[in-house]
Order: sequence, then C-alpha cells, then structure tokens
Amino acid sequence: MTTEHFPEEEYQRMIKMCLRCSVCKWIPQVQIKSQKYASCCPAMDIYDYHAYSGGGRIILALAYEMGRVKPSEDLLNIVYRCTECGNCAIACKYMNTLEPLEIIMRFREKLVKDGYGPMPQQKAYTEAMKKVNNPYNEPHEKRVDWLPSDIKVDPDAKLLYYVGCTSSYRRKEMAIAAARIMNAAGVPFNILKDDEFCCGSPVYRTGDVESFKVQLNKNLDVMESKGIETIIFSCAGCYDTFKVDYPLYREYNFEVLHTVEFFEQLIEEGKLKFTTEVPITVTYHDPCHLGRTAEQYEEWAGDELKLMPLVSINIPPKPKNIGARGVYDAPRNILNKIPGLKLVEMERIMEYSYCCGAGAGVKSAFPDMAIRASKNRIEEAEDSGANILVSACPFCSTNLQDGIKESGSKLKYYDISELILMALGLEPEKLKQATAGGS
Amino acid sequence: MLDKDILKEFQDVVGPEFIDDGDVMTNIYAYNWCTEFVNYMEGKEPIPFSSVPKAVILPSTTEEVQKIVQLCNKYKIKFKAQSTGLGPWNQPSTDNSIILDLRRMNKIVKIDEKNLYAVVESYVSGAQLQAEAMKYGLTVHMPGAGPMASPLASHTSMAGPGFTSPQTGHSARNVLGVEWVLPDGNILRLGSLGQKNNPDWFIGDGPGPSLRGIMRGWVGAKSGIGVFTKVGIKLFPYPTDTKFVMTGHAPLYNFEKPDYIRAYVFDCKSWKGLEKIMLRVEEEEVGFIVSHISGLAVMAIFSYSIEGLMDKMALGVLKNPLLVVMGARTKREFDYKQMVMEDILTEYDLENIVDTKYVPEKVFYAECLRANLGYHGFIATGGFQSAKGQADAAALCLRAEKTNIPLKQKYIKKEAIANDFGEGAWMTSYEGGHFFHMESPTMFNQSDLKSVKGMANYMDESNKQDLIKHLGAPFFIEGDKLHDEWGPHMMNYHNWLRKIKAAFDPNGVADSGFYITAKKEGENK
Ligand SMILES: Cc1cc2nc3c(=O)[nH]c(=O)nc-3n(C[C@H](O)[C@H](O)[C@H](O)COP(=O)(O)OP(=O)(O)OC[C@H]3O[C@@H](n4cnc5c(N)ncnc54)[C@H](O)[C@@H]3O)c2cc1C
Ligand code: SF4
Ligand code: SF4
Repeated sequence: MTTEHFPEEEYQRMIKMCLRCSVCKWIPQVQIKSQKYASCCPAMDIYDYHAYSGGGRIILALAYEMGRVKPSEDLLNIVYRCTECGNCAIACKYMNTLEPLEIIMRFREKLVKDGYGPMPQQKAYTEAMKKVNNPYNEPHEKRVDWLPSDIKVDPDAKLLYYVGCTSSYRRKEMAIAAARIMNAAGVPFNILKDDEFCCGSPVYRTGDVESFKVQLNKNLDVMESKGIETIIFSCAGCYDTFKVDYPLYREYNFEVLHTVEFFEQLIEEGKLKFTTEVPITVTYHDPCHLGRTAEQYEEWAGDELKLMPLVSINIPPKPKNIGARGVYDAPRNILNKIPGLKLVEMERIMEYSYCCGAGAGVKSAFPDMAIRASKNRIEEAEDSGANILVSACPFCSTNLQDGIKESGSKLKYYDISELILMALGLEPEKLKQATAGGS
Repeated sequence: MLDKDILKEFQDVVGPEFIDDGDVMTNIYAYNWCTEFVNYMEGKEPIPFSSVPKAVILPSTTEEVQKIVQLCNKYKIKFKAQSTGLGPWNQPSTDNSIILDLRRMNKIVKIDEKNLYAVVESYVSGAQLQAEAMKYGLTVHMPGAGPMASPLASHTSMAGPGFTSPQTGHSARNVLGVEWVLPDGNILRLGSLGQKNNPDWFIGDGPGPSLRGIMRGWVGAKSGIGVFTKVGIKLFPYPTDTKFVMTGHAPLYNFEKPDYIRAYVFDCKSWKGLEKIMLRVEEEEVGFIVSHISGLAVMAIFSYSIEGLMDKMALGVLKNPLLVVMGARTKREFDYKQMVMEDILTEYDLENIVDTKYVPEKVFYAECLRANLGYHGFIATGGFQSAKGQADAAALCLRAEKTNIPLKQKYIKKEAIANDFGEGAWMTSYEGGHFFHMESPTMFNQSDLKSVKGMANYMDESNKQDLIKHLGAPFFIEGDKLHDEWGPHMMNYHNWLRKIKAAFDPNGVADSGFYITAKKEGENK
C-alpha cells in the first residue's frame, strides 16, 4: 500500500534528478526578508555540510542505491539528524517536481527494512510503544491521570478527543485545557482511556512502517468499534498521522479535526464566547504537522501524456502537496478574536515556518540538535516583538519550552488552548502570570 | 580519505567537526548537476558523480582558509573551493583533491549605502544580500542562476550575466576590493583594499593593485586560482519602491504589485527587427530586464509547473519575442518610461501581449524583482544546461543564436534533447545595451542515458560550431583540452593563461579541472 502514493519507480527516478541547487536550504526565495531568517532547514543550520540538506539526503539515497556508500554510523547519523519537517520540500517544490520529504522517509524505511535503522534511542522508544502503548515508557494505566474529576466526559458521545501520548503524560495542561474548553462550550465528548494507544507517528517517522501499521490497526479497530464520527486532536503530530498517513494504509469513516479547527467552529457558532481581556502580544509558531505536512494525499487517476520525447504531462495535473492546504488560518483567527490580544508574526510562517526541532525521533536520538533548533526559533520569536510564544502541539511545546530555558529567554510559552481558557475567564491565575511584566 | 597525520593537521585548523574524510560525506560531495554529461564529454562514465574528494573541510575565517591552502601546498593535495556549490565546475578533477565548502563564511561584512557597495563572504546568498540591501532601497546583481547562488562566487569566479544585466551589468564588472588567498597560501588584497593607508573596498582597480583581469577574466577561474574570502560588490538602486508584501501560499503567492512596475512582451517578428528594437529599448534605458527569449521560454517564465505551460500555448508562437520589465520610483519617472515604450511600440508596430492577451500571475513581478526567473528553465524536463554564452555585439549574439537552430534541431530529431523548435535562447544586454549576452538553454533529462549522451555531443558540436563560424568564445571553454583547442584560434591566449597559472600556483594545488593547468607550458610556445 505505501508504494501507491509514492511508487518505488518514482523514488528511483527522483533520486537521480536533484539539481544540487541548494534552494532547499532556504525558505522560498521570494519570501526571504532578512539574512538572519532566510534558512529553512534546522539540520543544515546546525551541521552545515550539504549532506544534511534535503538535496544532500537525496544524493545520499542515490549513492546508497548505487552501492557507492554502505550503511555505517556516519550514514545513520546523517539520515536521522533530520526532523522530517518538510521545509526543504516546500522550497524545492516551489518550481521543481521532486519530493525531498518522501525520499527522506522512504530512505529511512529502506534502512529499517535492511536492518540498519533506526537509531538506538528510537529503537528503545519503539519497544516501549509496543509494550506500554507510549514511547515514554510510562505505565499504560496512568494514561488518563491527567483527567481532573470535575471534567465531564460522555462515554456515549460520538465526538472523540484523542489525547495522544505527549499530552497524556508530559503536557497535561494541554489535555486539561482542551477538555475544559469543550465543557465550557457544552459539547459532549468522549475519551478512550485504556483503549487509547500511541498513534504510531514516532515510529513511522523513523522508517519503522511495520510497527506503525500494528499501532494504526489497534487504534482504528477501537474507533470503528465505538462508531466514532469525529475525532479531535490537540497534538499536531497525532492529527497529521491520522489525517494524512493512516489513509495510506487503511481507510476510515470519521472526520478528523485539530482542536484549533474545532474551536474556531465553536467560536463561529457562538458556543464559545470570549469575555475576558487578554492584553498580551503573542507570536504564533506553526507546527509542521499542522501546517505544511498536514495535507492529505489527493487521489489521482489521470494519464501521463507524452507531449514529445522527454516531455510528459499529467492529465489532469497531479495534485502536488506544497503546503498550501495546511491549517494556518484557524489558529490566527482564534488569536485575533481574543480581546486585547495582539498577534505579531515571525518572518518564517505558515508553509515555510521554521521547525521547533524535535520531530521524527530527533528529540530522543539527538537532543542537542533539538535544543539548538529550538533556540533558533526562540530567537526569531523574540525578534518578532512578542513576549509570548504560542503554538498548538504538545511536542513543539516541550521543545520550545526547553529552548526558552536553555537560552535564558524571557519569552513565556502557552498552548493556544490555554489562551482560549484565559479569554473565557476560566484561568484568572494563568492570565495574571501571562500579563505579569507587561504585554 | 586522508592520511591520519595529515587529517590531524587539518583538524587542528578547523576543529574535528568541520572536516570529514569519510566515505559517506565525500561521496555526497562528489555529486553535482550536469556532472553526468561533463563526465561523458571527458570520456568518462556518464554518472552524476565526479572524482571523490579526499575530504570536505568547512573553514570559517580567511586565516583558516590560508592555513588549509598552506597545508595543501605542503602535502601536494589539490583544493576546490565552493560557495553554494551549484554545478559541475565545483567538482574536483582528481581524487587527490579536497573540497573547501565555504558555508560557514556567511557574513555580510558591511553595506555602504552611501557609496553603493556591500562587502560579503562566500556563503551569503543573493537573496540574503538583496533582502538586506532592500532595506536601503538598493539591490544587487545576480546571475541568471537565481537568488540562491552566491554573489561572491559569481562576482569573483564564475560567469556573470543575469536577468537585470541591462541595469546591473555583468558580475566581472561589479567587483570592487577583493580579499584573495592565493594558491601559494599568501593573501592578496586587490584594488583600494590593497592600499597601505586607509584600505577600503570601494574600487577594484587602483589605487592599489589592479589584477581584476587575472583574477577572473571573463568567465572566472572556478577556483583554479585560489580562494576568494571577501569581496566588495556594487549595489544598485532597487527598480521600484521596496515595499514587498506577499500573502497566500507557494508558489502562486499574492504579491502586492508595486505601483510603478510594468512588463511588456512583444513579437519583433524578424531577427533584424529584434536587433533593432532591442538596441532601441536599450538606448532609452527604460527596462531593468530586457531579455530576448524564445516563445517556449515566454510560456515557461509565466508557468509554475509543466502543466501550467498548457494554457499558454498561444504565447509559444511568438517568433522573436522580447521581454521588457520596467520599474520606477516616482509617477513622473513611470509615466516617462511608459511613454517611451508606447512610442517604440507604435514606431515598430508592436503589440504588447501582457495584460492584453495574457495576464501574468502577480508573483511573476516578485520574481522579476528578486531575480528568480532562471529557475523556470527546469520546468519541462527537470534538467537543462546552456550552450553558447557569447558576450559580444547584438548582431553576433543573434548570429550565434540563428546558427544554433539547425544544430539543435538535429539533436531534437535524435530525441536527445527536448523540442523547443531549436529556438530556445536567452539574450540580454549589459549596461544599457553597450554589449550583449546570448546563451542557448537546452532541456534534457539527466536520468536518461540517451539524453545525457546526446546532450554531451550537442554541447561539443555547439562549441566546435562557434569556433568554425567565428561566433566568439562560449561559456564553457574550460579545462586543458578545450583551451588547447581554442587558444590557437584566439591569439594563443591559452599560453598566457598558463603563465598566469604557473606564476600564481607554483605547486599546481588549486584544482584546475575547469580552469587551466600549467603543465603544458613550453609545448605551446
Ligand atoms: C538555472 C541556472 C541558470 C544559470 N544562469 C546563469 C546565468 O545566467 N549567468 C551566470 O553567470 N551563471 C548562470 N548559471 C551558473 C551560476 O552562475 C553559477 O552556478 C553560480 O554563479 C554560482 O554561484 P554558487 O553560489 O552556486 O557558486 P558555486 O557554484 O559554489 O561556485 C561557482 C564556481 O566558483 C568557484 N568558487 C566558488 N566560491 C569560490 C571562492 N570563494 N573562491 C574561489 N572559487 C570559488 C567554484 O569552485 C565554482 O567553480 C546558472 C545556473 C543555473 C542552475
Ligand atoms: S532537493 Fe530540490 S531544491 Fe534541493 S538541491 Fe535538489 S533540486 Fe535543489
Ligand atoms: S525535512 Fe526539515 S530538517 Fe530534514 S532536511 Fe528537510 S528541511 Fe532539513
């Protein structure tokens, strides 16, 4: 099934087509606004060698296929020092037809199949996931420890809040905020408790597709058995995995929404009313998994028409994922509706947003890289003039907060759901903290 | 791989993390665009990998570069410097070579907005420098390759025409002071930078040593004569106001078109007409882009995917198209320039198709201003390279273009290159029409062996044709073999080039695969 959206012949053809033009090291050329924030690739920013760019990785894939390089520690260190953020792909596909991110992912898959990948730390969390259903190796039975007793959950609801491992165990404030917002809106929702398992994203992104499929089937079996109609996610990673990756392996019949999409609807419908001024200046970090990589593959059943020797076109044109269909407006619309709040933008936003640095197993295998990338982003957020950084992903949250600590920044970090609670008047204490020291 | 002790000495210069002599890294640096057909032209296997360098090293300062070059002299190892590293001319010609990737040398040393110049290191990209220059209402010359390429590389070492050449000239003409690590490890400072008192970057030829011709000549030494670590380059007024607002998503961004920008595309209908009109437009100095491109290329610069070409078929029939893009800072200037263009259109009975027959995407104007048009050349086949590369009078450039058509058609028939009716060409003026550039972009498929071989043969024949038909020297006369072929026909320049090489690089360590070696001196006297 995996080969359908990106057939092996496409992989073999594309790895021979890189122009080595370095476009993939930068945000789209016409969007470059300064020297400081022109780059798009955290791996390049940290390791400098061309090998770490999207294009360098394509060359490596070709050299591997041609038998010019053998699997080695050096090779794995390059392949896995990449957050699969997909920024290189956006830059390349501005005009080109290569698929750098697909190639990066497929190459990892091949290395796993050939018995070399992923990195030891990633193997360890894969084992944990298999054993206790989460990569943090936390006891499964503690998955719902985050749930305060005053939150109302409706076991019969067809709307499911899929909490995800990171919000369940590490960023409980996000899970609590999402649940409280739904209670405030009077929307009945269910959670799976013991029946919620890791979505599989952390292993999928390291190339371990077989372990991922087990996870996917476990989750879909449960959801289908409960007749779920809509699932909402506060984790961008889980959302992306369900929305984009699951359908490549198994179809399902429910709707998938990120909390920002769902909450925007609730605001539009008047179910959530902002009553409290939140006088702060924030900047919004677009998570990769909610933005450029959150585009579903569109089916294409057209024909390739040979116009002339060497030149073919697709009729109708093959849909190309270039980040345009990511979720960018919903979080901004919400923020702009919060009374007193001022949103200022960083230079790299939306489909060319800079990655927080944590994804695709980097946080566990290369914590240094994760922190350095995060510090780059923190600096950009500071330069925007905001004093609060806000995002919509627990994994970004963890890494960006680590970056804030490490760089000694004065920035404060909140998840967007926490700001919504403040605007609903439900978090007066947090609001006080957020506004302390001026806006 | 390097000998362990030698590796250690290099590591002591840059730190162990900034040199890699492992198989994986060196193989990645052995790859480049167009290397497959260059290999084939040189009688090697047509694969996209060159000789594998012994190591890749990433210095961060001029001093480190100097020490690396000194070590190369000590151990008779060749070196190849690269900025962003685009193209086969970045590749080592032997496996006794190391690559200096200058990625860490990425500082904009200064922007002198009053004296209209900037000083940059190797890995500042065109887009980065332009973004900073725009803050002062200024812009920079960029080669047709586009804004991702390095102004330092283009200005000191590699070719130099660009889409804005009518306004911003040729890279070789924009070089000011230069800091240069010579192949023997000494540092030379050119132009006003070489003055004893008050050295500064403002001029390239005296006061101070004036060696611009030797340093880069016309097409550049492509790392064959040392490493340039900093360069002063001219800045120019940005053609319009610099408010640059983009919304929406890639690639069809919604660009807020500046008030005073306008594009013209018209068919000059004949070669003679084209020459006359192009000279006339240039004489009036109204356009910051004045490019003759083929009908197919008109379709391509307005397209963002191969399928995007399809609804522009009507533009493909243009016989001798000219693209003019003008900008102005004030309404008065804009009105004046528009009136001039109206006069020219009327005088020669021309029809501007822009906004009448075809309305370009707004992002097209952003690409004109940010020098991003060249990349459209890859749309059709994913691979292209240019033959020709003449710098001469308009008439000769057009003669070269015309002569190339039957040759190209021959290879189109062989199904080696894509069908542009043989007409694919790009011609621009420099500096208001004082001289011209012409090249023949040719689309091929780099992953198709037949196409690669055909492309190599076509390039070879095109070069030969230029020689036989006295069409001037093309871009890619590089390496000993081609210089030896061309030199005797051009006042034996190759002998002089060899003398320069020998004098500047006594140990022959600056890799000269794309320049010239000193080895045959004497044979050609
Ligand atoms: C689509 C396309 C269109 C193009 N159109 C044009 C065009 O219109 N006009 C034009 O001039 N060129 C054109 N080129 C070629 C282009 O100019 C060069 O590839 C570009 O200028 C090089 O910039 P770079 O940063 O990639 O430099 P590199 O590719 O890194 O270097 C170019 C050369 O200079 C040498 N070099 C680099 N840095 C140094 C240094 N510090 N010291 C010594 N030597 C060094 C390298 O060894 C190499 O030989 C085109 C290329 C493409 C892909
Ligand atoms: S991956 Fe794309 S953008 Fe990057 S070097 Fe290759 S062709 Fe250029
Ligand atoms: S996916 Fe992100 S980190 Fe990986 S190479 Fe591309 S831009 Fe760099």
